[in-house]
Amino acid sequence: MRTIGILLIALTAACAGVKQAPPASTAQSGLLLVDPWLLGRNQDRTVAAEPPRSEAIREAAAPAPSAAPTHEPATIAIQAVKIEPAADAPAAPPKNQHAAKAAAPTAKAPAMASASAPTVEQPRKSEEPPAAVRKPQPPLDIATLKTRLRETNAIGVFTKLALKNQVDDLLQQFRAHYLSGQKTSVAALRQPYDMLILKVLALIQDSDPSLAQTISGSREAIWGILADPVKFNSLS
Amino acid sequence: MIAPARTAALIFSLAALFAGPSPAAEDASLLKDLTAVIMLLGLPCGQVVSVQRHADNDHIATCKDGNRYRVFVNAEGRVVAQKQ
Repeated sequence: MRTIGILLIALTAACAGVKQAPPASTAQSGLLLVDPWLLGRNQDRTVAAEPPRSEAIREAAAPAPSAAPTHEPATIAIQAVKIEPAADAPAAPPKNQHAAKAAAPTAKAPAMASASAPTVEQPRKSEEPPAAVRKPQPPLDIATLKTRLRETNAIGVFTKLALKNQVDDLLQQFRAHYLSGQKTSVAALRQPYDMLILKVLALIQDSDPSLAQTISGSREAIWGILADPVKFNSLS
Repeated sequence: MIAPARTAALIFSLAALFAGPSPAAEDASLLKDLTAVIMLLGLPCGQVVSVQRHADNDHIATCKDGNRYRVFVNAEGRVVAQKQ
């Protein structure tokens, strides 16, 4: 009677194991169809269920029917551990070291694949600059710069007038420098020139980005005109 | 007889046709313009929040930080911002 009772309990336990198997067995059919909730549940279950199974196999005291049903959840659990890193879910480390070691190589491979994919794509993107960057725009001269600034709608009338005053002031400083006959270079005027360019860029970069880009690209060309006495005198 | 809905649509379309830029839009552009001028002249302001017009090309601008400037064009044609 006692043996029959033990057998009945073992059979009940085996049937209970078979009933739990079908939801997890969907994980074997395809990696992407696995529900993460199921994976987590399977992982927890493996850790809890495996020691009794191994003990049962080692002792060989358990009846034969109990071995077959317990084997199936074990394979499912291993599959679940392998699948889990592919979903890029940072889960808690597995308590079973064997399972962790088995999962480590398979986990690294998808992770490396997913990490290397964007690094391959990024150089392709950088190889193709936008058309506006690739297309070099001709540098502006002073007259064209004045005309473009006068025609833009990015700044108001007061601002245009104030800007014109400051440009005229800077040109007057260059003129005074060249008329004074100083042998020193015009490097001292570079800072006010840069400041004025920065002010202009700050004013128009939001409303007229193309003009801002053109001015920014013409910065050295305009300085080259201003810093050369011959070119500067030809302006006026 | 014309339906009231059609009359309303006609009135609104005519109003939209003949309406100029709204005063609010003009104010916004003027505020932006005066903010840029004060910034260009290197004066502390932050942002102009209100403007009182005195005459053509002569405004009192009140800044966000509390400063007030009279912005005008002087006889030499220069834009000047005088702190009030």
